[in-house]
Amino acid sequence: MDGLALGVVFVVLTVAVYLACRRLAFWVNHPLLNVVAVSAGVIIAVLVACDLPYAAYAPAREAMTTLLGPATVALAVPLYRHRRLLRSHGLAILASVGAGALLAMVSAGLAASLGGLPREVVVSILPKGVSIPFAVEISRIYDGIPALSAAFVVATGTLGSLFGAWLLNRSGIDHPVARGLALGTVSHAQGTATALLEGEEQGAMAGLAMILAGVFTAGFAPLVVRLLGLL
Amino acid sequence: MTQRVYYCAKCLGQLGLLWGISLAGRFLAETLALPVPGNVLGVLLLFGLLCLGVVKLEQVAATADFLLRHLVFFFIPIAVGLMDWGATFAQYGLMLLVAVVISSVLPFFAVGYLSLLLQRRR
Repeated sequence: MDGLALGVVFVVLTVAVYLACRRLAFWVNHPLLNVVAVSAGVIIAVLVACDLPYAAYAPAREAMTTLLGPATVALAVPLYRHRRLLRSHGLAILASVGAGALLAMVSAGLAASLGGLPREVVVSILPKGVSIPFAVEISRIYDGIPALSAAFVVATGTLGSLFGAWLLNRSGIDHPVARGLALGTVSHAQGTATALLEGEEQGAMAGLAMILAGVFTAGFAPLVVRLLGLL
Repeated sequence: MTQRVYYCAKCLGQLGLLWGISLAGRFLAETLALPVPGNVLGVLLLFGLLCLGVVKLEQVAATADFLLRHLVFFFIPIAVGLMDWGATFAQYGLMLLVAVVISSVLPFFAVGYLSLLLQRRR
Protein backbone atom coordinates (compact mmCIF):
# COMPACT_ATOMS: atom_id res chain seq x y z
CA MET A 1 0.00 0.00 0.00
CA ASP A 2 1.39 3.43 -0.84
CA GLY A 3 1.82 6.20 1.70
CA LEU A 4 -1.29 8.20 0.89
CA ALA A 5 -3.64 5.21 1.01
CA LEU A 6 -2.09 4.10 4.30
CA GLY A 7 -2.54 7.63 5.67
CA VAL A 8 -6.23 7.61 4.75
CA VAL A 9 -6.63 4.22 6.42
CA PHE A 10 -5.02 5.55 9.62
CA VAL A 11 -7.22 8.66 9.66
CA VAL A 12 -10.37 6.55 9.20
CA LEU A 13 -9.16 4.11 11.85
CA THR A 14 -8.42 6.90 14.35
CA VAL A 15 -11.78 8.62 13.83
CA ALA A 16 -13.66 5.30 14.10
CA VAL A 17 -11.82 4.27 17.29
CA TYR A 18 -12.40 7.73 18.79
CA LEU A 19 -16.14 7.67 18.07
CA ALA A 20 -16.46 4.14 19.46
CA CYS A 21 -14.55 5.00 22.65
CA ARG A 22 -16.56 8.17 23.09
CA ARG A 23 -19.81 6.23 22.89
CA LEU A 24 -18.45 3.61 25.28
CA ALA A 25 -17.41 6.35 27.73
CA PHE A 26 -20.95 7.75 27.67
CA TRP A 27 -22.37 4.34 28.56
CA VAL A 28 -19.77 3.33 31.13
CA ASN A 29 -19.03 6.52 33.00
CA HIS A 30 -15.78 5.60 34.74
CA PRO A 31 -12.64 7.75 35.16
CA LEU A 32 -10.38 4.86 34.14
CA LEU A 33 -12.14 4.70 30.79
CA ASN A 34 -10.18 7.64 29.39
CA VAL A 35 -10.99 8.23 25.73
CA VAL A 36 -7.44 9.29 24.81
CA ALA A 37 -5.73 6.44 26.65
CA VAL A 38 -8.09 3.72 25.46
CA SER A 39 -8.16 4.94 21.83
CA ALA A 40 -4.38 5.28 21.66
CA GLY A 41 -4.04 1.83 23.21
CA VAL A 42 -6.30 0.28 20.58
CA ILE A 43 -4.44 2.00 17.71
CA ILE A 44 -1.04 0.99 19.10
CA ALA A 45 -2.31 -2.58 19.36
CA VAL A 46 -3.43 -2.50 15.71
CA LEU A 47 -0.05 -1.10 14.58
CA VAL A 48 1.84 -3.71 16.58
CA ALA A 49 -0.40 -6.49 15.25
CA CYS A 50 0.26 -5.33 11.66
CA ASP A 51 3.98 -5.10 12.44
CA LEU A 52 4.02 -1.38 11.53
CA PRO A 53 6.39 1.13 13.19
CA TYR A 54 5.22 4.50 14.53
CA ALA A 55 6.95 6.17 11.58
CA ALA A 56 4.27 4.68 9.31
CA TYR A 57 1.55 6.41 11.34
CA ALA A 58 3.33 9.77 11.77
CA PRO A 59 2.22 11.41 8.45
CA ALA A 60 -1.43 10.70 9.35
CA ARG A 61 -0.79 12.31 12.75
CA GLU A 62 0.36 15.50 11.02
CA ALA A 63 -2.87 15.61 8.99
CA MET A 64 -5.08 15.01 12.02
CA THR A 65 -3.47 17.58 14.31
CA THR A 66 -3.64 20.51 11.85
CA LEU A 67 -6.84 21.69 13.55
CA LEU A 68 -5.28 21.59 17.02
CA GLY A 69 -4.19 25.23 16.69
CA PRO A 70 -7.67 26.71 16.11
CA ALA A 71 -9.15 24.20 18.59
CA THR A 72 -6.82 25.45 21.33
CA VAL A 73 -7.57 29.07 20.52
CA ALA A 74 -11.26 28.18 20.98
CA LEU A 75 -10.52 27.80 24.73
CA ALA A 76 -10.82 31.59 24.90
CA VAL A 77 -14.57 31.18 24.41
CA PRO A 78 -15.35 29.49 27.78
CA LEU A 79 -12.86 31.85 29.41
CA TYR A 80 -14.85 34.78 28.00
CA ARG A 81 -18.19 33.23 28.96
CA HIS A 82 -17.04 33.03 32.58
CA ARG A 83 -15.38 36.44 32.69
CA ARG A 84 -17.84 37.49 35.39
CA LEU A 85 -16.50 34.81 37.75
CA LEU A 86 -13.01 35.97 36.91
CA ARG A 87 -13.96 39.49 37.92
CA SER A 88 -15.79 38.57 41.15
CA HIS A 89 -13.22 36.06 42.45
CA GLY A 90 -10.22 37.48 40.61
CA LEU A 91 -7.61 37.44 43.37
CA ALA A 92 -8.53 34.02 44.75
CA ILE A 93 -8.51 32.53 41.25
CA LEU A 94 -5.30 34.08 39.94
CA ALA A 95 -3.27 33.63 43.14
CA SER A 96 -4.25 30.05 43.84
CA VAL A 97 -4.12 28.82 40.24
CA GLY A 98 -0.76 30.56 39.73
CA ALA A 99 0.70 29.07 42.90
CA GLY A 100 -0.71 25.66 42.04
CA ALA A 101 0.66 25.69 38.50
CA LEU A 102 4.11 26.68 39.74
CA LEU A 103 4.11 24.08 42.53
CA ALA A 104 2.94 21.35 40.15
CA MET A 105 5.85 22.03 37.80
CA VAL A 106 8.51 22.40 40.47
CA SER A 107 7.46 19.29 42.42
CA ALA A 108 7.17 17.17 39.26
CA GLY A 109 10.54 18.37 37.99
CA LEU A 110 12.29 17.92 41.34
CA ALA A 111 10.87 14.44 41.92
CA ALA A 112 11.80 13.38 38.40
CA SER A 113 15.36 14.75 38.52
CA LEU A 114 15.98 13.36 42.01
CA GLY A 115 14.71 10.05 40.68
CA GLY A 116 17.53 10.11 38.13
CA LEU A 117 15.39 10.41 35.01
CA PRO A 118 17.00 11.62 31.78
CA ARG A 119 16.71 15.33 31.03
CA GLU A 120 14.22 14.96 28.17
CA VAL A 121 11.89 12.95 30.41
CA VAL A 122 12.15 15.52 33.23
CA VAL A 123 11.26 18.31 30.80
CA SER A 124 8.36 16.26 29.46
CA ILE A 125 6.88 15.80 32.92
CA LEU A 126 6.93 19.53 33.83
CA PRO A 127 3.69 20.56 32.05
CA LYS A 128 1.77 17.41 33.08
CA GLY A 129 -0.93 19.37 34.91
CA VAL A 130 -2.25 21.35 31.94
CA SER A 131 -4.42 20.35 29.05
CA ILE A 132 -2.61 18.57 26.23
CA PRO A 133 -2.37 21.32 23.57
CA PHE A 134 -0.44 23.51 26.01
CA ALA A 135 1.58 20.64 27.47
CA VAL A 136 2.66 19.39 24.06
CA GLU A 137 3.82 22.84 22.94
CA ILE A 138 5.65 23.60 26.20
CA SER A 139 7.36 20.23 26.00
CA ARG A 140 8.43 20.91 22.41
CA ILE A 141 9.90 24.32 23.24
CA TYR A 142 12.30 22.76 25.79
CA ASP A 143 13.16 19.69 23.69
CA GLY A 144 10.97 17.35 25.67
CA ILE A 145 8.99 14.51 24.12
CA PRO A 146 5.41 15.56 23.26
CA ALA A 147 4.04 12.01 23.36
CA LEU A 148 5.48 11.46 26.86
CA SER A 149 4.00 14.78 28.02
CA ALA A 150 0.61 13.72 26.67
CA ALA A 151 0.89 10.47 28.62
CA PHE A 152 1.72 12.31 31.87
CA VAL A 153 -1.20 14.66 31.28
CA VAL A 154 -3.60 11.75 30.86
CA ALA A 155 -2.20 10.00 33.95
CA THR A 156 -2.56 13.17 36.03
CA GLY A 157 -6.10 13.78 34.82
CA THR A 158 -7.13 10.21 35.59
CA LEU A 159 -5.60 10.44 39.06
CA GLY A 160 -7.47 13.68 39.70
CA SER A 161 -10.82 12.36 38.56
CA LEU A 162 -10.38 9.14 40.55
CA PHE A 163 -9.27 10.66 43.87
CA GLY A 164 -9.93 14.40 43.57
CA ALA A 165 -13.36 14.63 45.16
CA TRP A 166 -12.38 12.12 47.85
CA LEU A 167 -9.23 14.10 48.76
CA LEU A 168 -11.25 17.32 48.95
CA ASN A 169 -13.83 15.70 51.24
CA ARG A 170 -11.13 14.28 53.53
CA SER A 171 -9.38 17.63 53.86
CA GLY A 172 -12.41 19.81 54.51
CA ILE A 173 -12.12 21.89 51.34
CA ASP A 174 -15.85 22.46 51.07
CA HIS A 175 -16.29 25.76 49.21
CA PRO A 176 -17.50 25.17 45.63
CA VAL A 177 -15.06 27.79 44.29
CA ALA A 178 -12.08 26.15 46.04
CA ARG A 179 -13.14 22.66 44.93
CA GLY A 180 -13.52 23.69 41.30
CA LEU A 181 -10.21 25.55 41.24
CA ALA A 182 -8.28 22.65 42.78
CA LEU A 183 -9.77 20.11 40.36
CA GLY A 184 -9.23 22.27 37.27
CA THR A 185 -5.72 23.44 38.10
CA VAL A 186 -4.34 20.01 38.90
CA SER A 187 -6.20 17.71 36.53
CA HIS A 188 -7.33 19.95 33.64
CA ALA A 189 -10.17 18.63 31.45
CA GLN A 190 -10.74 15.43 33.38
CA GLY A 191 -10.84 17.34 36.65
CA THR A 192 -13.26 19.79 35.06
CA ALA A 193 -15.54 16.93 34.05
CA THR A 194 -15.47 15.69 37.66
CA ALA A 195 -16.18 19.18 38.96
CA LEU A 196 -19.13 19.53 36.57
CA LEU A 197 -20.66 16.44 38.16
CA GLU A 198 -20.61 18.25 41.50
CA GLY A 199 -22.29 21.38 40.20
CA GLU A 200 -22.40 24.29 37.81
CA GLU A 201 -20.21 26.61 39.87
CA GLN A 202 -17.55 23.96 40.50
CA GLY A 203 -17.52 23.14 36.80
CA ALA A 204 -17.20 26.76 35.66
CA MET A 205 -14.38 27.37 38.15
CA ALA A 206 -12.56 24.22 37.06
CA GLY A 207 -12.84 25.15 33.39
CA LEU A 208 -11.49 28.58 34.10
CA ALA A 209 -8.69 27.17 36.29
CA MET A 210 -7.67 24.66 33.64
CA ILE A 211 -7.18 27.34 30.98
CA LEU A 212 -5.44 29.75 33.36
CA ALA A 213 -3.18 26.94 34.58
CA GLY A 214 -2.14 26.42 30.97
CA VAL A 215 -1.29 30.09 30.58
CA PHE A 216 0.56 30.25 33.91
CA THR A 217 2.47 27.06 33.22
CA ALA A 218 3.63 28.39 29.87
CA GLY A 219 4.66 31.64 31.56
CA PHE A 220 6.53 29.98 34.44
CA ALA A 221 8.18 27.29 32.33
CA PRO A 222 11.33 29.28 31.40
CA LEU A 223 11.90 30.07 35.07
CA VAL A 224 11.38 26.51 36.25
CA VAL A 225 13.57 25.04 33.52
CA ARG A 226 16.39 27.37 34.56
CA LEU A 227 15.76 26.75 38.28
CA LEU A 228 16.08 22.99 37.83
CA GLY A 229 19.19 23.42 35.70
CA LEU A 230 17.64 21.78 32.67
CA LEU A 231 18.84 24.29 30.09
CA MET B 1 -31.07 22.49 2.48
CA THR B 2 -30.09 26.09 1.85
CA GLN B 3 -30.08 26.55 5.61
CA ARG B 4 -27.66 23.69 5.94
CA VAL B 5 -25.32 25.14 3.29
CA TYR B 6 -25.50 28.49 5.03
CA TYR B 7 -24.66 26.88 8.39
CA CYS B 8 -21.66 25.04 6.92
CA ALA B 9 -20.38 28.21 5.27
CA LYS B 10 -20.75 30.07 8.56
CA CYS B 11 -18.82 27.39 10.44
CA LEU B 12 -16.06 27.38 7.82
CA GLY B 13 -15.80 31.15 8.15
CA GLN B 14 -15.54 30.82 11.93
CA LEU B 15 -12.87 28.16 11.52
CA GLY B 16 -10.96 30.54 9.28
CA LEU B 17 -11.12 33.23 11.93
CA LEU B 18 -9.92 30.87 14.69
CA TRP B 19 -7.18 29.61 12.41
CA GLY B 20 -6.05 33.13 11.61
CA ILE B 21 -5.83 33.99 15.31
CA SER B 22 -3.92 30.78 15.99
CA LEU B 23 -1.43 31.65 13.21
CA ALA B 24 -1.14 35.20 14.55
CA GLY B 25 -0.29 33.80 18.01
CA ARG B 26 2.33 31.53 16.49
CA PHE B 27 3.76 34.35 14.41
CA LEU B 28 3.96 36.67 17.44
CA ALA B 29 5.70 34.01 19.55
CA GLU B 30 8.25 33.43 16.80
CA THR B 31 9.00 37.00 15.78
CA LEU B 32 9.28 38.20 19.38
CA ALA B 33 11.21 35.00 20.26
CA LEU B 34 8.99 34.51 23.31
CA PRO B 35 9.50 31.32 25.32
CA VAL B 36 5.71 30.88 25.37
CA PRO B 37 3.76 28.60 23.03
CA GLY B 38 2.02 30.37 20.15
CA ASN B 39 -1.27 28.71 21.06
CA VAL B 40 -1.20 30.27 24.53
CA LEU B 41 -0.78 33.67 22.91
CA GLY B 42 -3.60 32.76 20.54
CA VAL B 43 -5.96 32.11 23.47
CA LEU B 44 -5.03 35.42 25.09
CA LEU B 45 -5.39 37.19 21.74
CA LEU B 46 -8.91 35.88 21.14
CA PHE B 47 -9.89 36.56 24.77
CA GLY B 48 -8.68 40.14 24.37
CA LEU B 49 -10.53 40.59 21.06
CA LEU B 50 -13.74 39.26 22.65
CA CYS B 51 -13.38 41.58 25.66
CA LEU B 52 -12.75 44.57 23.39
CA GLY B 53 -15.77 43.62 21.28
CA VAL B 54 -13.68 43.42 18.09
CA VAL B 55 -14.80 39.80 17.75
CA LYS B 56 -18.35 38.98 18.83
CA LEU B 57 -19.07 35.74 20.67
CA GLU B 58 -21.52 34.56 17.99
CA GLN B 59 -18.79 35.04 15.34
CA VAL B 60 -16.80 32.13 16.82
CA ALA B 61 -19.12 30.27 19.22
CA ALA B 62 -20.56 27.53 16.93
CA THR B 63 -17.20 26.31 15.64
CA ALA B 64 -15.42 26.88 18.96
CA ASP B 65 -17.97 24.73 20.79
CA PHE B 66 -17.68 21.99 18.18
CA LEU B 67 -13.87 21.94 18.36
CA LEU B 68 -13.87 21.99 22.17
CA ARG B 69 -16.40 19.14 22.33
CA HIS B 70 -13.98 17.03 20.30
CA LEU B 71 -10.74 18.48 21.67
CA VAL B 72 -9.61 15.12 23.02
CA PHE B 73 -9.64 13.65 19.50
CA PHE B 74 -6.49 15.59 18.60
CA PHE B 75 -4.57 14.01 21.45
CA ILE B 76 -5.11 10.46 20.28
CA PRO B 77 -2.62 10.61 17.36
CA ILE B 78 -0.12 12.33 19.65
CA ALA B 79 -0.55 9.67 22.34
CA VAL B 80 0.01 6.91 19.77
CA GLY B 81 3.59 8.23 19.68
CA LEU B 82 4.00 6.53 23.06
CA MET B 83 4.56 3.21 21.32
CA ASP B 84 8.19 4.23 20.81
CA TRP B 85 8.62 4.90 24.54
CA GLY B 86 7.59 1.59 26.05
CA ALA B 87 11.17 0.94 27.22
CA THR B 88 11.33 4.24 29.11
CA PHE B 89 8.15 3.37 30.98
CA ALA B 90 9.41 -0.11 31.76
CA GLN B 91 12.70 1.30 33.04
CA TYR B 92 11.45 4.29 35.03
CA GLY B 93 7.79 3.40 35.60
CA LEU B 94 7.78 3.52 39.40
CA MET B 95 9.77 6.76 39.58
CA LEU B 96 7.46 8.38 37.03
CA LEU B 97 4.40 7.31 39.01
CA VAL B 98 5.88 8.76 42.21
CA ALA B 99 6.65 12.06 40.44
CA VAL B 100 3.14 12.28 38.99
CA VAL B 101 1.46 11.51 42.33
CA ILE B 102 3.58 13.97 44.35
CA SER B 103 3.13 16.76 41.84
CA SER B 104 -0.63 16.18 41.73
CA VAL B 105 -1.33 15.99 45.46
CA LEU B 106 0.82 18.94 46.60
CA PRO B 107 -0.62 21.60 44.25
CA PHE B 108 -4.08 20.13 44.78
CA PHE B 109 -4.00 21.05 48.47
CA ALA B 110 -2.17 24.30 47.77
CA VAL B 111 -4.88 25.49 45.37
CA GLY B 112 -7.70 24.24 47.59
CA TYR B 113 -6.51 25.80 50.85
CA LEU B 114 -5.21 29.01 49.29
CA SER B 115 -8.47 29.74 47.48
CA LEU B 116 -10.44 28.79 50.61
CA LEU B 117 -8.36 31.27 52.60
CA LEU B 118 -8.75 34.05 50.04
CA GLN B 119 -12.49 33.38 49.79
CA ARG B 120 -13.00 33.67 53.54
CA ARG B 121 -11.02 36.89 53.80
CA ARG B 122 -13.33 38.63 51.40
